[in-house]
Order: sequence, then C-alpha cells, then structure tokens
Amino acid sequence: MIGRIVFGILLCSYLAVIIPFSTSLTDRPVVVKLGTLPDAELLQIVAGDQRYLMAQYAVVKVLFYYGTLVETFNQKVPLQPEYPAMFRTLQTSSRLDPWNADAYYFAQAAFTWELNKIDEVNEMLEYGMEHRTWDYQLPFFAGFNSAYFRKDYAAAALYFKKAAELSGNQLLANLSSRYFYESGQNKLGLDFIEYMQGHTTDRKLIEVYELRKRALIGVITIQGAIDRYSRSFGKAPSRISDLTAAGVLAKVPADPYGGTFYLDEKGAVRSTSKFALAAPAQQPAK
Amino acid sequence: MSIFENFFRLSVASLVRDRILYLLFSMALLALLLIPAFSTFSMRQVQELSMTLSLSALSFLLLVITVLTGASSIWRDVEKRYTSSVLGLPVSRTAFVLGKFCAISLLLAVVSVVFGAGAFVAIKISAASYPPDVPANWVNFAAAIAFDYLKYVMLLSLAFLFSAVSTSFYFPFLGAISIFVAGSASQEVYEFITGSYGKTFAPVAKEVVKGVYYILPNFAAFNLKAQAIYSLPLVPGTLLLTLIYFTCYTGIMLSLAVWSFSRRELP
Repeated sequence: MIGRIVFGILLCSYLAVIIPFSTSLTDRPVVVKLGTLPDAELLQIVAGDQRYLMAQYAVVKVLFYYGTLVETFNQKVPLQPEYPAMFRTLQTSSRLDPWNADAYYFAQAAFTWELNKIDEVNEMLEYGMEHRTWDYQLPFFAGFNSAYFRKDYAAAALYFKKAAELSGNQLLANLSSRYFYESGQNKLGLDFIEYMQGHTTDRKLIEVYELRKRALIGVITIQGAIDRYSRSFGKAPSRISDLTAAGVLAKVPADPYGGTFYLDEKGAVRSTSKFALAAPAQQPAK
Repeated sequence: MSIFENFFRLSVASLVRDRILYLLFSMALLALLLIPAFSTFSMRQVQELSMTLSLSALSFLLLVITVLTGASSIWRDVEKRYTSSVLGLPVSRTAFVLGKFCAISLLLAVVSVVFGAGAFVAIKISAASYPPDVPANWVNFAAAIAFDYLKYVMLLSLAFLFSAVSTSFYFPFLGAISIFVAGSASQEVYEFITGSYGKTFAPVAKEVVKGVYYILPNFAAFNLKAQAIYSLPLVPGTLLLTLIYFTCYTGIMLSLAVWSFSRRELP
C-alpha cells in the first residue's frame, strides 16, 4: 500500500514538473542552447570514426537555431542573435568534416548578406575548395562575394573561372563582366538569391531568401526611379520623397525587414533595418 | 565433424538464443527506418547524410555486439563451469577459443551484410528526395562496411584476450571499450605529437607516446567513411597494408588469448 502511495506521489510530481521543466529548458540562454564546441583538433581525437556524424550534428544544431531566429523575427520578438557562436560552430564542423557541403552553404547563406563577414566566409570557402575539389559551387559563392560585396572584380573573375572549369558551364566565367556592365550588381544579387533558393531543402532558409529577394526588388525599383529622375531633371534626388513627388515612383516599396528606405549621402538606397533579422533596437553595431 | 566445428556450431547456437541480440536487431531496424527521415535535416547533401547515419549506426551496433559478446564469452563459460565439463573431454582449448571467436565473427559479418543491405535501400529512398551532386559509389560503401567489420573483429580478438585472463565481466568489458577509444584516437594523437605542436613536449614523453601508438590497435586505418560518403578515391596500397596489419594484429592477439587460456587453471 505504501509503495502504491509513493508511486502515486512520484507520478503526480512528475506530471506537475514536466511542463515547467521543458519550458525552463526552452528558455535557456541562447549560448547555453547552442553550446560551445571544443577545438576541432580535440574533437577529432575524441570523436574517432563518428566525426562525420558529429560535424553534421553541429551544422544541424546551428540550422535549428537559425530557424528560431527566423521565427522570432516573424513574431516581432526582439532577440540578439548569437552569430559569433554560430560561426565558430560552423568552422569547427568544417574542420571535423572538410567535405561537408552544408557547412559551406550555410555560412554563405547566413553570414554574408546581413553580417558582412565576407572575408571570413571566403576563407572558409577556400578551405572547402581544397577538399571538395569537384564542387563548382564553392568558387561560385566566393566569386559572388568578391564581386558583389567586396567589388574585387579581379578576384571574382578568378573564382568564376574556376567555377566554370569545374561545372563545364562557360557562362560562369563571364558572370562578373556580363552582370556588372550590362545589368548592374543588383541584378547579380537577385539572380544569386534565386539560385540559392532553388538549391536548398530548408524551409526557413527559403523564407529568408524570399525576404532578401523582396528587399532587393524594392531597392531595384527605387534605383530605377532614381535613374529616371536623374535623366529627367539632370540631377540626383536628395531624398526618396522627391521620386514620388516628381511622379517617377508611384509608391515607395515597403522594406520586408521592417525598416524604411532612404538615400544615404552618396545617393545609394539604404534602409533603417540594415536588412538584418535582428530587431531594430538590438541590432549589432557595424 | 572436427572439434573446432563442434565448438563453432555450439557457439552459433548459443548466440542465436541470446535475447539481447534480438533487442539490438530491433534497434537496428528502427534506425534503418528512421534514416530517410533524419536525412532531410541536411540542406544540400541528403544522400551523404543518409550514408553518414547508416555507417555510424552500423559502427555503433557492431561495437555493442563485439563488446557484449566478446567480453562475456570465455569468462562466462568459466564462471558457469561450462568449461570444466567440456574441457574435461579430450578436446583442445585452442579449438574452444577459436570456435567461439569464429562464431562471433560470423555473427558480426551477418549483421554487417544485412544492415548494409538495409542501409542501401534507406540511402536510395533518401537520395530520391534530393538528387545528390555526386552519385553514390557503392564499391566504396561496401569497402567501408567491410573494413569496419574487420575493425571490430580486431577488437573482438582483444576482448577475447581480456576475457581469457579475467575472472569477472568488468575487466574485459571496460578493457575492450578503453582500447576501442584509445585505438580510434591513437593516429590523431600521434600526428598531433609528431607535428609542430609536439615541439613543446619533452623528448621522453614523445617517445612514450610513440611506443604506446605502436602497441595499441590503430583503428583509424579502417575508417573509410569519408571515401564512402563523398565518393573519394580509395588507395589500394594503403588498403592492402591495412589488411596485412589486421591479419598480423588479430593473429597475435588470438595467439595470446589461446596461450593464456591454455595456461589458466579452471575450477
């Protein structure tokens, strides 16, 4: 009888504690949830023949965390993303399994547009190129980063040439010149986003790309209006409202990141959101 | 029918009756069923992830079977007085040890082949959802499974050696696990010590590490997972050397197990 009472008390206690227990785990600080992996050298020794599984686990962990970032952004919950821990985890993953394509793809997807970690990502892509010697996408990514973000067309041309050789698609070799002299860099950005969107199975990433695409289409629309304004009036507009007032832009597009478009001192189209997933009040300092 | 064959058949029969193995096989089947679902966690390399999961699951399964069956083989027979009744007959202890060893090796081979076939189907299903950049190299996949199997046969020979000299379950069990961890890490540690990092070590410490490296089994050589997952080329020379290494090391450990069991006083 006493045994049954004790069992009943334990069962009731378990049912009472399970919800607050799981809630407290869900609400743990981000750094605790994402965890910090030891150095790759140490992990290689410890992991033995399970290192490839461990590398993939690290990438999936970062991907899940990134998914929660997208969720909190959609729900307008302010959250300071733990980007340095994410990037360190990806670097460790690529050291554990230098052939893992997911680590390189995700680094390209998450750390270039919003965070501008171009040099770090390109360094990681270079490391990947040493191992994934058949993969044209890594030099393709690095070429895009050099051209679009760094404006280093000479370096971009070398990467695109390598991508063209590996893929057998000579169009890649002419990418930088074709896009930059004929269509402008925004067109290159749009094409690249569509390429990346079509080459992933992850719904959260597809969602982020959709966000970027809408933001870039907004920039392209305003840029087109600026060009028309300059041709008509012989001078550049000083603010975006000039475009609607002059009738060259029917309506200022909305920034899908939640900010407002404006023209900076050089006349380039910018947004107060800085096209970042972080809530405006908590954006990391650039 | 030879004495060895009798012991072999008896050992196979006792393994087939072991209920823990049925539990392990059920878990293996569950793992195979879950592989296509878990593979979708990858963004770009669904086939590669399904292969990683398959090979990792098989490796873990073989490790558990090797340690459980190897560590409890000879020791348990001595404890249950089975050896006293059987070895009182005019039969050799060598045939007894080798018969049991070959029976467990056969079990590991069957598990490897059956799981490998199941993994082939699971990988095909996974790959259908997201076509891979590079087609799977099934020869490499089979080679990775075969060398993983050899690795665990080698570990089994060590578990037999520990079991032959032990009077309890714990020494062969923990000894086999420790050797597995150390043997899996030894190559990385050796390269770490002999590389630029090793310059900070005392020469005596380096020599000790080198000595331990040559004594421990080197399981890193049997790891062909990267070649299987990413269709990287196999190096025939290294594989041949690994096979010779396997034969020598396993043979030496088995000889020591037979020698120590032959000298052991049975109750």
